Amino acid sequence: MNDPLQQLIEAIKVGNRKIAATATQTALDSGSSGKEVLGALSEGMDDVGKRFKANEIFVPEVLVAARAMKKSMELLEPILVKSGIKPEHTLVIGTVKGDLHDIGKNLVAMMMKGANFNVIDLGTNLPAQTILDAAIEHKADLVGLSALLTTTMPAMRETVALMNKEPHPFKIIVGGAPITQDFADDIGADGFAIDAASTVELARTLVTSS
Amino acid sequence: MTGKEILLRALKCEATPRVPWVPFVGVHGGALIGVDAKDYLESTEHIVSGLKASAKRYRPDGLPVVFDLQLEAEVLGCQLAWAQETPPAVISHPLDAGYAIKALPTLSVEKGRLPLALQAIRETKKELGEEIALYGLLTGPLTLALHLRGDDVLLDMFDEEEGVVALLDYCAEIANQMVDAYLDAGIDVIAVVDPMISQIGPSHFTDWVAPRLDEVFSYVRKKGALSSLFVCGNATRNLAAMCATQCDNISVDENVDLAELAKVARAAGKSFGGNLQLTKILLLGDEADAKREVVRCLDQAGDGGGFILAPGCDLPYAVKPENLEAVAALVHDPYLIEVARNLPPKDSTDTFDDIPIPDYAAENQVLVDIVTLDSAGCAPCAYMLKAAQKAADEYGGTIDVREHKITTRDGLAYMAKLGVTAIPSICVDGRERFASIIPQRKELVACYQTAAAAK
Ligand code: B12
Repeated sequence: MNDPLQQLIEAIKVGNRKIAATATQTALDSGSSGKEVLGALSEGMDDVGKRFKANEIFVPEVLVAARAMKKSMELLEPILVKSGIKPEHTLVIGTVKGDLHDIGKNLVAMMMKGANFNVIDLGTNLPAQTILDAAIEHKADLVGLSALLTTTMPAMRETVALMNKEPHPFKIIVGGAPITQDFADDIGADGFAIDAASTVELARTLVTSS
Repeated sequence: MTGKEILLRALKCEATPRVPWVPFVGVHGGALIGVDAKDYLESTEHIVSGLKASAKRYRPDGLPVVFDLQLEAEVLGCQLAWAQETPPAVISHPLDAGYAIKALPTLSVEKGRLPLALQAIRETKKELGEEIALYGLLTGPLTLALHLRGDDVLLDMFDEEEGVVALLDYCAEIANQMVDAYLDAGIDVIAVVDPMISQIGPSHFTDWVAPRLDEVFSYVRKKGALSSLFVCGNATRNLAAMCATQCDNISVDENVDLAELAKVARAAGKSFGGNLQLTKILLLGDEADAKREVVRCLDQAGDGGGFILAPGCDLPYAVKPENLEAVAALVHDPYLIEVARNLPPKDSTDTFDDIPIPDYAAENQVLVDIVTLDSAGCAPCAYMLKAAQKAADEYGGTIDVREHKITTRDGLAYMAKLGVTAIPSICVDGRERFASIIPQRKELVACYQTAAAAK
């Protein structure tokens, strides 16, 4: 396995950040383009997402893969900036007011980064207005809201309602354990995804359809 | 045998006259007495009143005294954010920057909310402890490690092993200090609550978490008490590994297949429980939903004992008390379980067009429909049927008394079409007159006479 890109893919899959960093450097040094390295990262994270969805790996394994991806991105980003390659789409994501669960939201953010979205993670316990302001400031294409408590589902509803009061250029996606497609439709969100891997698919369809 | 004895026997997988029931009342106790989660969890008096109210309404065999997985974390330096309808949440991790475990504050029963929690245990013990077993809930090692260190603890399992080992060992020591404090205060069952176990795989569980859990479980055993491993969240993949620890009991959330757990737990000689759906059924559903849910759990748990009926995790603040009362009613009356077993499914659209009922107004005689489970097998049904027949004899006019068993399609049709609200039930000329309560002969005769006069 001498191909550094192949090595990078494997390193992401098992979450080895050291190999991820050296493979990224070797690939760039030996003439791979920024875009090719990015492709390898996405392929690795895609695989991680699928195995998480299939219950073959669990939260720690995804977190460690994402950390390896981050190491690689640190080396890759300056190259991408230089060559003018920017993620085409921006996701602003956060957990709604009153809710401090963030593991699922973090996984979604990481997988979306892996899928080459520009991800602005606002954190947890966010007032509706804060999310809306950030969406406008960062010219978001997508806004992602997470809620894990039945007691914070109303806060999700209020956040979507606040955003939908005025016309806006972004699509709203929602998720979290108690959220369902019905609830998403009911509160006026544009999409719902059951897990991180499906979120990537959903996001891709929503941004291409708009 | 008291409820407490039944529960303690079931926890040890010994035979019991019925299935014991433990509603995990946490902040819901506050809702019962009209205070919010913060006021509740910060007051011995409120906690004791909440538990007394729960004992009265839900007739439990066991109760947790304080359901708050942030008690220890707060003492150890985590900041908390309070909410009105949930327990507080940890919002800062003192070990964020590294494993400076020695620099953490020491745990003592004098600190944080431990004094008020322990006092609540002592008072509840005095008030309810004869009849009801008390559960002392402590934060499991993985969840406490997450509180102290944040998500990084999961990452560190891959390349900061020493730090994680030290932290988990430390969390097990804290747990054992809580065991001492709880048992001294009068706790009967130690529940190690570790929801984060639902987020890791079996190999991480076995390598990292199980050894620390066993330190706690073996300590509890040495002290002569019982222990439960309590995991909120979907722990399906870890069930076998959880059953391989030294706990006496496994308690699981609603997303676990109870039939599967029953197999694995019984093979390992462990009692098991939990699984009643919190949100869809107990919080948002109605009493009929709650009854069906009890039947589902009992059926999936199967025969073979060692089963404890309980919710999947702590009850939501605003859970409907009538739903829990419906659960309690079934627990204490096997007959009501049989009735519930025959309830039509929730989304049934069956209109029973194939079973016509009489046009009562057009009949010359008085028609009495007794809707029962089956008078042959159910004592109250037999009494009610007999009462209706005896009253008919005494009334002496033309009258027809007929039994409809809800174990048959005919019975279900009558139940639906006459709008019967309880079983057994007496309907006179198509109207429910006596639901579940057997009337005095005089009253019933008078009712027949009125019906005849109205013709
Ligand atoms: C881990 C956990 C915690 C951790 C949180 C750590 C953290 N940093 O997040 C701790 C222990 C701190 C905690 C605290 C509490 N918790 Co908690 N917790 C859980 C648990 C076990 C797992 C949640 C989780 O991380 N899952 C793993 C991730 C990967 O899954 P996920 O979040 O569902 O995310 C996936 C999808 O939903 C989706 N997704 C998520 N977000 C988004 C967003 C978008 C835009 C999209 C498209 C998709 C998407 O993709 C994700 C990845 O595949 C659940 C149990 C459960 N059944 O979910 C309870 C649970 C959510 N907690 C609960 C409760 C009550 C609490 C507390 C109030 C009290 C307590 N028990 O101590 C506090 C509340 C704190 C607060 N105010 O927020 C309840 C909620 C009950 C209810 N119906 O409301 C649950 C369901 C447990 C239970 N059965 O009672 N909790």
